[in-house]
Amino acid sequence: MQTKTISDLQISQEATVQKVIAKEPVKSRLFAMGIVKGAKIKVLEHTLAKQTWDILSNNTKIALRQEEARQVVVQ
Amino acid sequence: MNKQIKVAIVGQPNVGKSSLINAMSNAKLHVGNFTGVTVEKKEVFVKSDLFDIKMTDLPGIYALNAYTPEETVAKNFLLNEQYDIILNVVDANVLSRNLMLTLQLLDMHKKMILVVNMIDEIEAKKGSIDAKKLSILLGIPVILTSAKTSQGIDEINKTIIQTYRAKQNDNKIYYTQKVEERIKELTKVLQKSPHFKDKDYARFIAIRLIDKDENVYKIIHDLPIFIEAHNVLEKIYSSLTAELDEDSTVDILSNERVAIAHNLHIETVNIKEESKNLNEKIDNLLIHPILGLPIFLFFMWALFQLTFVLGNYPMNIIGDIFTYTATTLADILPNGTVNSALTQGIIPAISAVVMFLPNILILFFGLNLLEQTGYMSRAAYLMDGFLKRFGLQGKAFVPLVSGFGCTVPAYMAARTLKNPKDRIITMLVLGFMSCGARLPVYILLIGAFFPTHDAGNVLFAIYISGAILGLIFAKILRVVLFKGEPEPFVMEMPPYRLPSYKALYMDLWYKTKMFLKKAGTFIALAALGIWFLSTYPHNSALEKSYEIKIQHTKNIQIKKQLQNELSAKSLEESYMGHIGKFIEPVFKPLGFDWRMSVSVIAGLAAKEVVVSTMATLYSVGNASNTSKGLIQKVRENVSFNSAIALLIIIMIYSPCVAAMSTFYAEIPQWAWRAFYTIYPNVVAWLFAYGVYRLLSAVGH
Ligand SMILES: Nc1nc2c(ncn2[C@@H]2O[C@H](COP(=O)(O)OP(=O)(O)OP(=O)(O)O)[C@@H](O)[C@H]2O)c(=O)[nH]1
Ligand SMILES: [Mg+2]
Repeated sequence: MQTKTISDLQISQEATVQKVIAKEPVKSRLFAMGIVKGAKIKVLEHTLAKQTWDILSNNTKIALRQEEARQVVVQ
Repeated sequence: MNKQIKVAIVGQPNVGKSSLINAMSNAKLHVGNFTGVTVEKKEVFVKSDLFDIKMTDLPGIYALNAYTPEETVAKNFLLNEQYDIILNVVDANVLSRNLMLTLQLLDMHKKMILVVNMIDEIEAKKGSIDAKKLSILLGIPVILTSAKTSQGIDEINKTIIQTYRAKQNDNKIYYTQKVEERIKELTKVLQKSPHFKDKDYARFIAIRLIDKDENVYKIIHDLPIFIEAHNVLEKIYSSLTAELDEDSTVDILSNERVAIAHNLHIETVNIKEESKNLNEKIDNLLIHPILGLPIFLFFMWALFQLTFVLGNYPMNIIGDIFTYTATTLADILPNGTVNSALTQGIIPAISAVVMFLPNILILFFGLNLLEQTGYMSRAAYLMDGFLKRFGLQGKAFVPLVSGFGCTVPAYMAARTLKNPKDRIITMLVLGFMSCGARLPVYILLIGAFFPTHDAGNVLFAIYISGAILGLIFAKILRVVLFKGEPEPFVMEMPPYRLPSYKALYMDLWYKTKMFLKKAGTFIALAALGIWFLSTYPHNSALEKSYEIKIQHTKNIQIKKQLQNELSAKSLEESYMGHIGKFIEPVFKPLGFDWRMSVSVIAGLAAKEVVVSTMATLYSVGNASNTSKGLIQKVRENVSFNSAIALLIIIMIYSPCVAAMSTFYAEIPQWAWRAFYTIYPNVVAWLFAYGVYRLLSAVGH
């Protein structure tokens, strides 16, 4: 099975974070914002070309680039 | 003297640290609804009966593993400075995420107070937080506050004093057994060094090392126990990750903190699941994939329209009042030095600056709304993809937009960019974002040369083309000098908040005061200097010869003409005339006369000085027109093509000395400082020349 990441989700789709495969220091930053294993997230919006993503996690809205969105494995 | 209690204000970004300090004191720390408002530590004193409390407001940090330069400021303070108490502020809305930092801070084993801020927003949602229980679970005092309604503010003061007097309590966070064993093992090794005799401090360092904190790693790097500690640490890294099946010990500690924070949240927070609220409805529109950007551009356009159109009415009135004062004074006061210093030097100069205060305030009002409402980070989100093409990232938007207000804080705001390359590129192109002080020059020239109904659009076009030029240069710099990818973009977007009218009003009032103060002191002095240089030395031979001529004519028309000739000739013979003649060749190709040239150079002191200098020079050189407004004088003395060239120069050339010294303070490398000092001026001249020639060629 192929791994699914945030960048594969649709707008308003929900998922659970399985693993953050980003390198440091981005990884720690994502952790600190609440994107950790087991966290529930929801895609709120993305820009037209899916360049930038707006996701909701733990009552916090977070803007990410596609590169970072690809580094969060979800289920 | 009272005893001093030193308190460090620590917390994640945008939780209301600066707002709380403002509520506790009469400080006016900068507050805004986006992350990274505070980028430098600031001290505020609060006096009470027995103690003076010294509070240090720190930039927000997400975790102790500092990430950006401004977070490093906070971390360095926490690790290296002397303070008695950590006041940890958390946002009640996102308690469990904020508690992750709290848990890291508790590892430090210092006296600590937890302030749960924004409780008004929880209460509005009919929720509650059990402070007592949280206090028992964490082992430190917990206060529920709202910087907005002032709830709980007095209690902070009391608790600080109580905590200062009380003994340090044993507020340790315990991790799971496997992790604790490793912490103990490493602590033992560290304690062999005289540096870490204190057991709690050794434990903190051990935890930071297992958390792969590079700054702390550097601390032990030079100690004799380094080899042993390093070996133990390596062993811990490999055994822990293997046993718990994780990539890194960072993940392990993070997972543990998440679990603890989550439990604390469940035990103490009582709040119903939120339904889809107004916030998201607004976002659906404002960051809509297709509509988002056009809406943003519309807002900017509307702001510049308002800046010109609304500001125009008071502008004319203020201008008239000053002109009237000058003419009246000129008649009342005896002829002489004081008379002409006031009516030709200082008053026109101050008038030329103060006239534009309404415009500047409208611009600042718009920027303030952008900062306070939470739209700033949405705009950054929208612009990210666009900025990426120019080798920048969304977060650079914040300093870039702040640059429309004032370049000095904008340079500071670039600290929120992690990657040094991104930061330096952003700072190098920040000057292209026209600051509020350049607004007077634009409005003056636009007012003189464009019909009123176009003026707002022209103003918008100036700001936008400045910004686009800046982006193009960012791209060039990225390709030529700073190869590599821009830094990753991960940014929190806070909920929308209604700005408080009081704060808005206070901010604008403060800006007005500062502006008037600057006009009354700095600008007035500069104007006096310019007036002096342009009035002296007197050439008595010249004056005599003209006086005789004037006396001999009866025709009033000719008399006036002779008087004007005399003023113009005297001005040319003055010190300023000579200085002007000396620099004139540089600006000659742009069609500037020496007075414009002098004004441009004087603008390096402060951009408002461009208009004030023009006002002085055009009134000194013209004996009979004190009654004419500055706009009129400019229209008579400056050609359209030169006016456009002047606009371009002002748009691009070096910012004021205050901004330049901020850049020098932020960027230590001499090569960059030199580059920064030279290239905008060269670019400005070349562009101005190109456009000037183009306009002449098409027959303007
Ligand atoms: N409703 C409400 N809003 C608050 C409260 N405290 C602060 N705010 C708002 O929250 C936002 C952030 O406030 P700041 O004081 O700038 O936060 P900070 O922690 O200093 O932020 P950084 O300097 O970026 O780390 C602003 O829009 C404040 O108006 C509060 O108690 N209730
Ligand atoms: Mg702050």
